[in-house]
Amino acid sequence: MWQVALAGDRALLITIGTVIDPSLLGQVLALDQALRDRPPAGLLGAVPAYASLLCRYDPGVTDAARLEDTIRQLEGRIDPSVPIGPIADVPIRYDGPDLADVALKTSLTPTGVIDAHASREYLVYCVGFAPGFTYCGSVPDELAVPRRASPRLRVPAGSIGIAGRQTGIYAVESPGGWNLIGRTEMRLFDPAGDPPARFKTGDRLRFVPTL
Amino acid sequence: MIEVVDAGRWTTVQDRGRPGYERFGIPPGGMADWFAAAAANRLVGNHPDAALLECTATGPCLRFADESVVAVTGGEAASVASWRAIRVAGGSILEIGAINPGLRTYIAVGGGIDVPIVLGSRSFCQRGAFGGGFNRPLAKGDRLTIGDVGHSQPLVEEWPGSHRLPLRGPWEVRVMAGPDRDAFDPSALARLLATACRITPQLDRMGMRIATPGLRLQVAEILTAPVTAGAIQVTPSGELIALLVDHQTTGGYPVIATVITADLPLLAQARPGETVRFRDVDAAEAGRASRRLTGWLQPEP
Repeated sequence: MWQVALAGDRALLITIGTVIDPSLLGQVLALDQALRDRPPAGLLGAVPAYASLLCRYDPGVTDAARLEDTIRQLEGRIDPSVPIGPIADVPIRYDGPDLADVALKTSLTPTGVIDAHASREYLVYCVGFAPGFTYCGSVPDELAVPRRASPRLRVPAGSIGIAGRQTGIYAVESPGGWNLIGRTEMRLFDPAGDPPARFKTGDRLRFVPTL
Repeated sequence: MIEVVDAGRWTTVQDRGRPGYERFGIPPGGMADWFAAAAANRLVGNHPDAALLECTATGPCLRFADESVVAVTGGEAASVASWRAIRVAGGSILEIGAINPGLRTYIAVGGGIDVPIVLGSRSFCQRGAFGGGFNRPLAKGDRLTIGDVGHSQPLVEEWPGSHRLPLRGPWEVRVMAGPDRDAFDPSALARLLATACRITPQLDRMGMRIATPGLRLQVAEILTAPVTAGAIQVTPSGELIALLVDHQTTGGYPVIATVITADLPLLAQARPGETVRFRDVDAAEAGRASRRLTGWLQPEP
């Protein structure tokens, strides 16, 4: 059962689940698409992430109860299959400042960390936090390490890190607490681009080691 | 043309922002105190979409090459006639100086500030380092072009004092519960509402840290979810972060309550050290509060 909660006086937060799971993301994307195909009156936009969708609305046109009704009618009717697009290659140089530390914490060699991280394809669960920041999952169990105890004030654009079962790409310079294992030259955010972010929620990618 | 003689502490070009790009991680942005900014545009006869200048703590010094109509609203700048349309002669100087009470002052110019539109808005986005004409806050020597978005005559009268918002704490800020009510024990919101909270110096357009003296809220972890301006997150240390217009688009801290749209201007003007109490209201009261402010912005009959 979807949970629908007020997020202030002009948005609803639809929570479909509480864990990182491709099928929950599939439902989020299907709901997002259904609302784009047939936008309810007053819906201004939606923001997907992991297992929830934020719906912004114009309170001069609709209200929370009416919008919730429309959304509830879609529950069980949408096709939650995850759209399978092409897999993008993200070139990565594994020379991040935390690579040795991650190796230590996971009892792997640095090469073992690299092999494990580059061994699988990832699903983009969310583009959020900062412009273009790409949250991917999930890393192999043996690579799951908690965030750094004290975040860095400046993480350079292109940095690739691990936090728990997630791996992510910093698209612009920002503060951050993820364990940085490498860096890509790929440009993930361009305000002049259409769309401005290289990836969108639901995309697939894999990391390709470069020298 | 306007020349920036001195940029002040943090002066940026802002309009009503770029909602709709959150799915790319881009904050909605725009004027932090939307009411004072809208009043400034209204005073000079601008369309509500016109871009203006948002100044923080210490305002800029500007030289106007041509005669212009200007309105200064929001946080008080002692040296300037505020909340009324003023005519500045060609070649003259407008100096804002220290802002107090309040934290953010708006300068609207008849015709609007004309900088290129990026992703639907002229607003400067700090996190993405784009927009606002220079991809950064204003700096000494910058030259701004005045646009032609003006659509009506400037208002003749001073903006009525009864139709302005308070600029001084202690603040009462209205919130609606949630969305993450389940992440807290059932009495958490009541205990927060009973606490005199304190604005800390850690604040910018993205958000503000708020201390809760005598109260330490316990939180459960949540899965990262999209967030809105006004969201009051509770960090693992128990401190609050209230998100403002340049907020991160998703967050991993649970949101105990959300500031209503009508009271976002109060947060935008609160200064470090000031006290804020939160009061919970329902959607109907939040709607009435918004309509009251938008009513103040309507043309007189």
